[in-house]
Amino acid sequence: MTAFFEFDGDLVRKYDKPGPRYTSYPTAPQFGGEFNEAMLREHIRRSNAEPIPRQLSLYLHIPYCFSPCFYCGCNRIITRDVTKGRTYVERLVREIEFMGALFDRDREVIQLHMGGGTPNFLRPPELEELLESVRHHFHVSASPDRDFSIEIDPRFIEPGDIAAYAKLGFNRASLGVQDFDPDVQQAVNRIQSVEQTLAVIDACREHGFRSINVDLIYGLPKQTLAGFERTLDTVLATRPDRLAVYSYAHLPEIFKPQRHIDASTLPTPETKLALLQLAIEKLAGAGYEYIGMDHFALPQDPLARAQASGTLQRNFMGYTTHANCDLVGLGVSAISHIGDSFSQNARDLPTWEAALDSGALPLWRGRHLDQDDILRADLIQQLMCLGRIDIAALERRHGIEFTTYFADDLRRLAPLVEEGLVTVDGDSISATSRGRLLLRIIAMCFDRYLNDNLPGNAPRFSKAI
Amino acid sequence: MKGAPDRRPPIADDGDELHFCTTCAFSSACLSSGYNKSHLRELHVLVEHVGPFREGEHIFREGDPFNVIAAVRAGTVKTYVTDAEGREQVQGFFLPGEVIGLSAISQAKYPCNAVALESVQLCRFSFPNISALAARMPGLQQRLFSLLSEDINKASLLSGNFTADERMAAFLISLSRRYAARGFSPNRFIVAMTRTDIANYLRLASETVSRVFRRFQDEGFLHVDRRDIELLQKDKLEALARSVLRE
Repeated sequence: MTAFFEFDGDLVRKYDKPGPRYTSYPTAPQFGGEFNEAMLREHIRRSNAEPIPRQLSLYLHIPYCFSPCFYCGCNRIITRDVTKGRTYVERLVREIEFMGALFDRDREVIQLHMGGGTPNFLRPPELEELLESVRHHFHVSASPDRDFSIEIDPRFIEPGDIAAYAKLGFNRASLGVQDFDPDVQQAVNRIQSVEQTLAVIDACREHGFRSINVDLIYGLPKQTLAGFERTLDTVLATRPDRLAVYSYAHLPEIFKPQRHIDASTLPTPETKLALLQLAIEKLAGAGYEYIGMDHFALPQDPLARAQASGTLQRNFMGYTTHANCDLVGLGVSAISHIGDSFSQNARDLPTWEAALDSGALPLWRGRHLDQDDILRADLIQQLMCLGRIDIAALERRHGIEFTTYFADDLRRLAPLVEEGLVTVDGDSISATSRGRLLLRIIAMCFDRYLNDNLPGNAPRFSKAI
Repeated sequence: MKGAPDRRPPIADDGDELHFCTTCAFSSACLSSGYNKSHLRELHVLVEHVGPFREGEHIFREGDPFNVIAAVRAGTVKTYVTDAEGREQVQGFFLPGEVIGLSAISQAKYPCNAVALESVQLCRFSFPNISALAARMPGLQQRLFSLLSEDINKASLLSGNFTADERMAAFLISLSRRYAARGFSPNRFIVAMTRTDIANYLRLASETVSRVFRRFQDEGFLHVDRRDIELLQKDKLEALARSVLRE
């Protein structure tokens, strides 16, 4: 086992403080409105001009959901009106066309991910229209290691849907489960039977999906150790290739749907920790590898193999094996990472629609990365993916003297070294088995924007665990 | 926080009133003739540091009256002409220590455009003054002649019937040697030119340039990280480049 960790409740409690999840560095609160369309176009032009332009990873965001899950902190729109999907697809096709025209034709799309919201709010013919448009305006790779993935809400899958997805080229699925405990399901307004969930997993396997991910959440209202253990047993019996076990962050003042949750029914911090510990022990016992943050995978899964070979990457979609892609986010609120820039689309539907209708890119905000950002992003990426920072590699790649450049950061790291979360020697900085669950606490020591007292530097983040 | 890291070759800004910059195209010729920088000043040869020119900014344009030549102190300069159909033809790339404007000597006007591909600093010489000086300094005159002939040879290098691999290898080996000649690393450098510029210069399609880069990388000849190129097996590239470089 290449990645191992030790569960230390006292440590986890001590360091359970708000912090970014580092799906990007700089993090989204550092994106600004001064980043405009001309700048995005310039970054795309530069990315096309590189000696070996990167492959592309497309993210398509479908914001609609049929019903509100009360725990959700995502940007989504609740409706039963399926005709909204129709008009959304029309505009999304326009955005695909705009963006596709900006990339050189030899830039292959090696990864495509549909997320939400609920991508299966759209019916297969609408999904087909989107993929047809992608194939027309981008150069989609024919390589067998091409990944097309879709997030699925099993409650709204109709017979034949999975077969249709497979026909469209989807080969990975991610299913939301959260917890099968009926009391929990009622408390979070997501009634989903074991049968309909297993039927979707079976259908995916039958139609040649090469990988299935299941999302679980711990810390939900009414959750108990016994109930969550039954959920884990049921899920593990299907041997999903990947599992994500997310922590529920109760922030009703930020996420409106959470106001429906009675805070008195939330598990105590002790129970929440015990739920995490239970999940970790069960997964380890079932042979899953810990990838990092909330993610686990079977040892033969490409994620676990990428971690072992040091090529694992992390981006807005979580962990990925497709290193060094430019990420093109399409749809309302979607985030792109192109060249040395991050950019995000308008977060509300009317603004996104109006931009596309007027022939402009629906850009809201973004960020041009300077050399210091690029260096720190590289460092944090290594830490979040491999649990280790290779000092010599960073010095070589970025032309710095590590201990001089990061003198302040290393001072901030010292208490964590003393605590036994991390070790520092001449070659590397490594999370210990006790520190593996607290990677983002380690990463925060190297985050310039948390540590310099810059204006506007008080982002609100969920707690680390 | 310390200053931001910089992966580009250092700027040759080490010259002053009395000392030449380390990348100076003429310093060795002057020094070997017994002239240091203060002597040149007495002779009213203006050695003027200009720039930075921003990326995309023109240094001179085709048809501009010719009166100065300039040595690149930092950055990369591209020269090009535009053909009757409006298509750009890249003529060459100029690295620190190399001299632009030489091809204008035979005429009174610049015969091409010169544009900065990144932030560029120049050292500008009045051409009438430097030629007057050359008349009194045999070493400098020789240096000017050799720069001129290098410029002519460079243009004819790629006119033969070579494969894409041979052209690309020759291009990389040429960059490597030119960086080495100015004291920069011969094995690791940043390419400021776009792949379209490289393709245009080598008379290849830009997809081909990327394909060959990728193949060289797969073969272990080099490693590409964005625009950062590291040559890992220079002997293999030199072997491929031999026919183009006529060795």
